[in-house]
Amino acid sequence: MYRIIEFIVRFKEYVSLSAVVVICFSLMTFGNVAQLGGFRSVVVGGIGWLQNAFSWIPNPVALKSENAALRELNYQLSDERAKIRQSLIENEKLRKLLEFKKQTTFPVVSADVVGKTTTEVRNYATLNKGAEDGIEEGMTVMTDAGIAGLIIAASKNYSLVRLLINRDSRVAAKIQRSRIDGILVWEDDQTMIMKNIPKSYDVKIGDDVITSAYSNRFPQNIMIGRVTDVRADSSSLFRKIIVTPAVNFSSLEQVFVVKMLPDKERVALEKEIEERWKSRNSQQR
Amino acid sequence: MPQFQEKSLFETWPALRYVIYAIIALILSVLHVVFLNLISVSSITPDLLLVLCVWISITEGQFIGIFAGFGCGLLFDVLSADVLGTNALAKTLAAFVAGYFFKAKFTDQTIGSYKFIVAVFVCSMVHNLTYFFFYVRPTEISFSGFFLKYGIASTLYTSVSAVFPMLIKAQKLTVRH
Repeated sequence: MYRIIEFIVRFKEYVSLSAVVVICFSLMTFGNVAQLGGFRSVVVGGIGWLQNAFSWIPNPVALKSENAALRELNYQLSDERAKIRQSLIENEKLRKLLEFKKQTTFPVVSADVVGKTTTEVRNYATLNKGAEDGIEEGMTVMTDAGIAGLIIAASKNYSLVRLLINRDSRVAAKIQRSRIDGILVWEDDQTMIMKNIPKSYDVKIGDDVITSAYSNRFPQNIMIGRVTDVRADSSSLFRKIIVTPAVNFSSLEQVFVVKMLPDKERVALEKEIEERWKSRNSQQR
Repeated sequence: MPQFQEKSLFETWPALRYVIYAIIALILSVLHVVFLNLISVSSITPDLLLVLCVWISITEGQFIGIFAGFGCGLLFDVLSADVLGTNALAKTLAAFVAGYFFKAKFTDQTIGSYKFIVAVFVCSMVHNLTYFFFYVRPTEISFSGFFLKYGIASTLYTSVSAVFPMLIKAQKLTVRH
């Protein structure tokens, strides 16, 4: 017994360490927090009260990280908001196009505008559909709002559209209300002009302009635009009719290609007559 | 005529030291739980209780240090709502290791020098190794990765915080000399 006590006294550090470690392991294994019961709840309540009482003290590190997190969240939300807004606009456009596709009697192919070229005021657009989808040169391109242009070239998967606002554009048009015919050409920027309309003809601002049956390129009765100005020319008997296209070319994204080509026989005949007149005129000169 | 010798309060009641240690431990525990998040860096805080345990071990020796570590750890387990025994075990082992830095009659010199920082660093490493081992055991977290991320950072932060008591002690020693 004496030896045991002597051993314990001699190695009291190791013995006490062993004893404490055993107690710690016992606590970890069997120490049920619930057994502390009310004491634990008093401690938690007291700590909670203290934390609440001193919660007014600002924590610069926490504020900094919170600020950074909020900035990141703000950026994400802004980005999400922009995407949602974009989706809403796109959704509205697609709905209109879908409705148009249901309503129209023409066989159409929908396509996305994948590129726009504005060089030397010649406006072109590239579509993501081509010959493989049945698109051919000479087909009409339109949106739910009206005529957008004409296919002037088509590769296997892409096609090029000459937009209405192009210096080479010429459309046989008609004032819908008064049935007055004329040729519509591009003037500048986003406007077109109908020339050589006699002053006595009934044209008013706000009149709708549609494609005429005289057109050998576009199907008839398709909306082109609206009369926005009527300019009288004092030096002649005619006046200029300013027409704003119904299609908004700056936000052109989805279009339809009308899978109809002008009557080849008619085009050939008109072309032959035109060439005959040209040669007769040159002979007379 | 017998010479009257004035005794200090600690000499009159030697056990008062332990009461003071207990009060400091209680205050530090509350400070740790309530205020230490104010100086946390990436959720890492210095372990002030461990610094106290090392201090006690170096001042009082390994035997007292073991019980101080156990008491401080258990107190912190209760206050921080941690698993009972984990902090107690970690701090007991840390205090035991700190006991090897104990040199009777040279305790003030040890605390007032870089040796105290070295002791805190070594003990903190032992403490964090033990604590995080039991902390990650019920989870699927890799111990090595977790220790490298939090254990080392906590050790360094605790060692840095030990500079203040060391400087105070060093200044007192300078004034005394």
